Amino acid sequence: MAIPEDDSRPRLAPGCRWAEASNGERTVLVPEGAIVVKGTGRDILEHCDGQRTFAEIVQELQSLYTLTDVQKIRKEASNFLEQLREKRIVDF
Amino acid sequence: MSFVPLALIAELTHRCPLHCVYCSNPVELQKSALELSTDEWQQVFRGAAGLGTLHAHLTGGEPLARQDIVELVAGARSAGLYTNLITSGIGLSEKKLEDILAAGLEHIQLSFQDSREEAANAIAGARTHGLKVELARLIRKQRVAFTMNIVVHRGNLDRLDEIIEFAEQLQPDRLEIANVQYYGWALPNRDALLPTRAQVENSVLTIAKAQERLRGKMRIDYVVPDYYARYPKACMGGWGRRLMLIDPAGRALPCHAAGVIPGLHFPNVRERSLEWIWRESAVFNKFRGEDWMMEPCRTCDRRSEDYGGCRCQAFLLTGDAMATDPVCSLAPQHALIENQLQKNNLPADDSGSTQPLRERANSAWTYRVNPT
Repeated sequence: MAIPEDDSRPRLAPGCRWAEASNGERTVLVPEGAIVVKGTGRDILEHCDGQRTFAEIVQELQSLYTLTDVQKIRKEASNFLEQLREKRIVDF
Repeated sequence: MSFVPLALIAELTHRCPLHCVYCSNPVELQKSALELSTDEWQQVFRGAAGLGTLHAHLTGGEPLARQDIVELVAGARSAGLYTNLITSGIGLSEKKLEDILAAGLEHIQLSFQDSREEAANAIAGARTHGLKVELARLIRKQRVAFTMNIVVHRGNLDRLDEIIEFAEQLQPDRLEIANVQYYGWALPNRDALLPTRAQVENSVLTIAKAQERLRGKMRIDYVVPDYYARYPKACMGGWGRRLMLIDPAGRALPCHAAGVIPGLHFPNVRERSLEWIWRESAVFNKFRGEDWMMEPCRTCDRRSEDYGGCRCQAFLLTGDAMATDPVCSLAPQHALIENQLQKNNLPADDSGSTQPLRERANSAWTYRVNPT
């Protein structure tokens, strides 16, 4: 399974979308149910709008967390998106 | 009380061009003259969203038999519900598909009866297989979540590899392979549909291999027949816990089959609000929680996992809806299942010589009929 390329533009897969926000939680509706997204995963996924490239997403996350270790952020985002693609929740 | 009907099953009509011998619709079908109107369904969708429902599963019968299907999809979606269409495909054209997607449809589940045309048409009692293959190709061209559903049974379970390859060619995101469950029209056809133990055991291995091979490409979900399980399924996630079904005439039920249980009154959305039905009605509270349970369920460690199994199956097989689901190995009436399994596992069957479907005369099946 391929990891996202720098110039790929990750987005929610067909049949997956954000549910309207209720009690502050963010939920992604998928064909077989719903998943609550929290913490770093939520930050990553909220940047995946099909407009930003993966490189841009990593850059924005870096400034969001004011971290210097770009490779660590890149690796975490990449693993997370790879897993979600396998579950057909994300496309890139 | 904290239960939320997360899923709404909207049986839009019981009319259907197919006559599948294992149809899960009730044997007592609702007449087309009694069907809810477009506006009444829109009210149902808004009411469900108000109760916290996330998913609307538009099904039937064949939901495309409703002339207002595009409006109904739009209504469910604009109520905020995740909108899924469960269809045989019959009645779909490229134009209709584009229209329902534009109306907000998010997931489409297309049913197949087999990988082979002849066997599929024999099960459906209609010549529809070839058309379904064309429709699958049209659906795949669109940006929509696409699931293929195939029902397996004694007659096709030995060809599971072929069935998976067939699905692969049509490239759905997800393949749901489900063994027949013995409700509705399937129960009178049980002798011919229930697989052997060897078939079931082999199928589990075949599925595991295919899941590994297709990981990341096509997800495969598999439902085994509960007759071969040690413990019953938590049917519908428990009675009145997660799901509400509205039938074509507006009756609210906790599941597809609950209409068979005598003595229950199913409230109608024409007379009562969904909120009252879900929270207050006698029928949705009837088997909620654990107070109704008899032994051995009442003191069983598994009671909060499977809720005593399926009430409808308990009634259909034992005549008592309060009984422990007889598929449970701990059930006092488990012999009912054992006897059926014995019948379907006679020595001749161990060699794999299950009777191919085409050798079964069509007259030997009980085909689903169409409501008037």
